[in-house]
Amino acid sequence: MKIFWSFTRQAFQFISAYRFNFFMEFILTILRMYGIYWVWRILYTQKPGAFGVSLEQMVTYGVMGMVLELFIWSRPQWYMATQVKSGAIDTDLMKPLDFHVHMLARSTGEALIGIGVLAIPALIVAYLFLDVQFPPDMWVALMFAVSIVLGFLVFFHLNFLLGSLAVVALDIRHINWAYFSLVRFLGGQIVPLWLFPPVVAAIAEVLPFKGTYYIPISIYIGRFSGVDTIRAIGFQIVWLIVLVLTSRMLWGWAHRRLVVQGG
Amino acid sequence: MNGMQLFFRLIQISLLSSMQYRANFIAGILGVLFWNVINLGLIGVLVTKFTHLKDWTVWELVFLYSLWILGHSLYGLFFSHTSELENYLIEGSFDQFLLRPASPLIQLLGGELQYNEIANALIGLTGISLAYAQLDLQWNGWKWGFLFVAVISGSIIELGINLLVACSAFWTGRSRGTSFIVNQFYSLVHQYPIDIFGTAFRVIVTGLIPVAFMNYYPALFLLDKMNRNSPGWWLSYMSPLVALLLIGIVAIVWRLALNRYSSSGS
Repeated sequence: MKIFWSFTRQAFQFISAYRFNFFMEFILTILRMYGIYWVWRILYTQKPGAFGVSLEQMVTYGVMGMVLELFIWSRPQWYMATQVKSGAIDTDLMKPLDFHVHMLARSTGEALIGIGVLAIPALIVAYLFLDVQFPPDMWVALMFAVSIVLGFLVFFHLNFLLGSLAVVALDIRHINWAYFSLVRFLGGQIVPLWLFPPVVAAIAEVLPFKGTYYIPISIYIGRFSGVDTIRAIGFQIVWLIVLVLTSRMLWGWAHRRLVVQGG
Repeated sequence: MNGMQLFFRLIQISLLSSMQYRANFIAGILGVLFWNVINLGLIGVLVTKFTHLKDWTVWELVFLYSLWILGHSLYGLFFSHTSELENYLIEGSFDQFLLRPASPLIQLLGGELQYNEIANALIGLTGISLAYAQLDLQWNGWKWGFLFVAVISGSIIELGINLLVACSAFWTGRSRGTSFIVNQFYSLVHQYPIDIFGTAFRVIVTGLIPVAFMNYYPALFLLDKMNRNSPGWWLSYMSPLVALLLIGIVAIVWRLALNRYSSSGS
């Protein structure tokens, strides 16, 4: 556990060296929140009945989608791809920590700094200027906290799976691009699943992607009832277990196939 | 060898080198197609539910999206690497440009061909054709001409803005942060008609980062959505002028930047 935290701290220090980038990321998020805020407002004035939720809930959903991105933004697949390409991955494999756990430690550090430096300031702006609501009660707030941690872990493992592929495919830049659009769409980052056409919604409902954005945010705005909340969190846990097992297997396979270039 | 010849020679070299990695080439094109399908899918989902966004119907939104992506694909195909200028400056490799007997600007522009933008161009053309049919548009020759001019202007506008951002690295050392922010404005203007946003936003994307001239303003004219009683109606025709103006500003800034340049020495 001590080793885990030392790698977490390392990621933390690495990022704090790039303060300017973080400031820019913050401005970007404000712009994104502003964009989605107006889209939902305009659509809502047009057709209030079509949402199934109030304007405040809808705006909160949109803005939270942008804020959550700051929390789960860590991209282990980039790191893995660069390390494989440069050959430096062998130094990672020599470290006294399982590679999968090492990546998780790094991502945890990145997520923590994402919350502290970006997400919380962005939320303050959102509360002050964009009519974003607080969770209705303490129980919901607590369940939301549980759910975003699970969301982070689900997203981490999806990323890790893609990163393992990088070992074999070498260049994942373009696949990665398509992958992110897929997560944003099926994860319900911008448009919640209940607004999807039935066929698309049915597909999105069973895939793990909705565990990243849709479930935590729906809990936050109070869209789910008590039972639904528990069920949704159960859904995240089940997928998390499946993803952890798949990650171990795929990484084990990729590790054996790994060819280190004489970097 | 004159500037134009040199430019095309550099492009040719880049194309040959990227064709060496065929799997990557195909993955790149598929990635771009997929990204567009998802983006359009989001617009589709929204509009099946709401039929229109303010006074823009689905197909008008598709037109807006496609007009932007078409101009962008032309820019991206030839010039997307210009944002690398910052790295050249930091690593000191910009010095090579100054040593060779050709204009440094041409050498910068002719660096690389971003082939996967071809997928964006296809999406743009398809989108505009579909929208044209669905909206039952009957354009005369002038409008077709204007579409052509608007697309070219759009790519020049994007090039102009991005070059100015990249040139800021001559003074500040870093331009990446600024370019991220500018890109965020692009993506909002690309996907949504700017009239749904607040005044401050509209002023920024018209006057400061004139990206609205890539799709919104020309689309108002092309889709007959222009209201001649509103004070800014003439902006719909201004895309070519904005493009020319940007070229002028880039020329001046580039000259100032070169005079100022001192190598990082590495």
